Amino acid sequence: MRQRAMWSAVLVVGLALAGCGSASDSGKSTSSDGKLVVWDWKSGEPFAKSYLDKAKADFKKKHADVEVEFVAQPFDQYYTLLGAAIQSGKGPDVMLFNGGGQIRDRVDALVPLDEYVAEDKQRLAGWEAFTKDGKIYGAPVTLQGYPIYYNKAIYQKANLDPASPATTWDKFVADCAAIAKAGSKCFALGNKEGVGIQFWISSMGSTTLTAQEYDAWIAGKRDWNSANVKRLFQLWKETGDKKMNSDGANSTAMFNDSFALFQSGKAAHVMGLMSDVGHWQDFNEFLTPEKLGVMKAPIVTAGTTPTLPYDGGIGYAVAKWTKDPKMAADLARSLSSADALKAFYADAGAIAADTTIDVSAGGPAVSTIVGELKSGKPALHVALSSKTIDLMGRLSQQLLSGSITVDEVVKQLAASDQAG
Amino acid sequence: MPIGNTQPSVRPASAGRAGGAAVTPAAHRSGARPRRSHGGLRAERYAPYILVAPAVLIIVLLRLYPLLLGVNFSFTGDGAQNGEAVGFGNYSELFGDPLFRTALGNVGLLVLLLPVAVAIPGLLATFIYLRVPGHRFYRSVYFFPAVLSPVIVGAIFNLLLAFDGPLNAVLGSVGVGPVDWLGDPDIAMFMVVGVHIWATFGMALVVFLAGFATLDAALLDAARVDGASLRQVVWHVVIPSLARTIQFVFVTTMIGMLTSMFGLLFVMTSGGPEGSTYLPEYYIWIQQGQMNRPALASAASTILFVIMLVVGLMQIKLLERAGKED
Repeated sequence: MRQRAMWSAVLVVGLALAGCGSASDSGKSTSSDGKLVVWDWKSGEPFAKSYLDKAKADFKKKHADVEVEFVAQPFDQYYTLLGAAIQSGKGPDVMLFNGGGQIRDRVDALVPLDEYVAEDKQRLAGWEAFTKDGKIYGAPVTLQGYPIYYNKAIYQKANLDPASPATTWDKFVADCAAIAKAGSKCFALGNKEGVGIQFWISSMGSTTLTAQEYDAWIAGKRDWNSANVKRLFQLWKETGDKKMNSDGANSTAMFNDSFALFQSGKAAHVMGLMSDVGHWQDFNEFLTPEKLGVMKAPIVTAGTTPTLPYDGGIGYAVAKWTKDPKMAADLARSLSSADALKAFYADAGAIAADTTIDVSAGGPAVSTIVGELKSGKPALHVALSSKTIDLMGRLSQQLLSGSITVDEVVKQLAASDQAG
Repeated sequence: MPIGNTQPSVRPASAGRAGGAAVTPAAHRSGARPRRSHGGLRAERYAPYILVAPAVLIIVLLRLYPLLLGVNFSFTGDGAQNGEAVGFGNYSELFGDPLFRTALGNVGLLVLLLPVAVAIPGLLATFIYLRVPGHRFYRSVYFFPAVLSPVIVGAIFNLLLAFDGPLNAVLGSVGVGPVDWLGDPDIAMFMVVGVHIWATFGMALVVFLAGFATLDAALLDAARVDGASLRQVVWHVVIPSLARTIQFVFVTTMIGMLTSMFGLLFVMTSGGPEGSTYLPEYYIWIQQGQMNRPALASAASTILFVIMLVVGLMQIKLLERAGKED
């Protein structure tokens, strides 16, 4: 009996001692010399093959003796797995990130790339989404933007001119009434995950906020009480109140139920993406390139100019624990080299970060989008923290169901934004 | 009780020692025996500990130690404060977060809905036991959903319950307006729980049927001879006889509800609408994976662990009481 007590005591003391100290420590790379490990969620897919081949060939020119291993993780688990790797201070040398909050929340684990990517700064667009506090942490591969797509066939059915969609909000609302009469919804909206509002504020931001407010928002000086910011959310509520959205928006998944509604001609507009999914290539396939249009945001506040909201979509970053940051940065650069990106555009249908790529074969919609890249600005929602975006998603659902006021929404968002 | 298992191995060994002493009385007398058998005694004393050591070590290293690390981690900060002690900061943030309070509230709702989740398989098992027409068919059909993964079940019901889905179409044909089953915060949680019950009641049904197998048929016959109605048979004969089975199903259903709703939530509502279908598990996953707040997620996990501990202890008490009645 005494022995048992003693052993228990030893156990407890041992546990207590082992329990002290933080669970996290930072440190070493898992890769051995001469090998780089890359984590992503793309390399397993067939369309990525020629892109990766081109990137590897480019890297081989610089470091012939270094082996590169691509590890494809499932996307829905990606940041969970990455979080565990960061927590243990061990993991891949180079990793793929979504631009915006996802990379900005994790810069503690990354190496600033400014000195390595200086040569690429002119050729590539979309750096802003991979930048925090003036330092670049990722090399962009694709651009992600939020154009408003419309179905020209529905415009014709509603006796509207498909070549000249509405340029002001009032005209747009009137057009939508005509579209409703012709039996279609105005917007295909999926807000089950709360993503609809993100696309909304970004698509409508440039014509609702003044240029000054817009730039201040991106720079982090957001005035949530300004009349125009409130107007953004009022318009969102208005689309719900006026039944402009597809039915059951709060239970419709954006990916890909809402896009399916647009593709099948049940709604005239959708705020879509320009890379990966829900984009011109998908829509071309169903609606044909001739029927697919891209329109500028209708003007809400007089004196504003519509601009295309876009950012760096995905890009590669270098982990802090890698042994040779220069070598890893070279790999990130190879992954955004001109040849590799050309292959990515051609096979994945993404708008690559390299804007010199010729897209004229992709149809009028993609040409319109690429033409607007020069004057484009970073998207509003990408500037927000993941926490604020999550909150905004829930509040947007409440706005649609009518259980909250716009004033309360901006109050809660302001509190969350300032805390972050 | 792992110690209980080791006792038999000790007892035969000590019996052997006594026998050994009996055949060497000379050694006994010379006084050599106490010294020699002292060494043997010590080895025998340690034997059980050595034998259970692998099991204990696995539990300690792979369960208790990570658990303690997790609890310890929940008292540190996230992001810039990584590794710094923040005391109860994460906990006060959790209880200040309306979303986490909703998640805890939903745990309470699950507890309240527990009787329904137990009554449904109980009643259906009763009907099967009482041989309603087609009972063989129902027995296999009821079990069928239990073999489907939650993701598949969720996807099926996503289609059925969609705003433009078949359920609303049926309702529309009888003149009832469409309901946004998964988009209305007042309804969505009940739909998810309902689907969870549908998907898992087959297992409880099987347990009930096993319980019925031990039921004394003579009691039922006696009740029938005495002219008892179906309701009286169920209330006065079936339920008292199945008290232990019912308690067991309560315990297992509770555990299932609290620990395996994640897949359904993920597929059916993603915690929405308006955050109304959050459960602690889902909250932990979001904070860790999406918000990059592992320490906050640890704090939420610790709270979930304490809840499960309390529920588990209550259930053990319940089962012990049921055992004593036996």
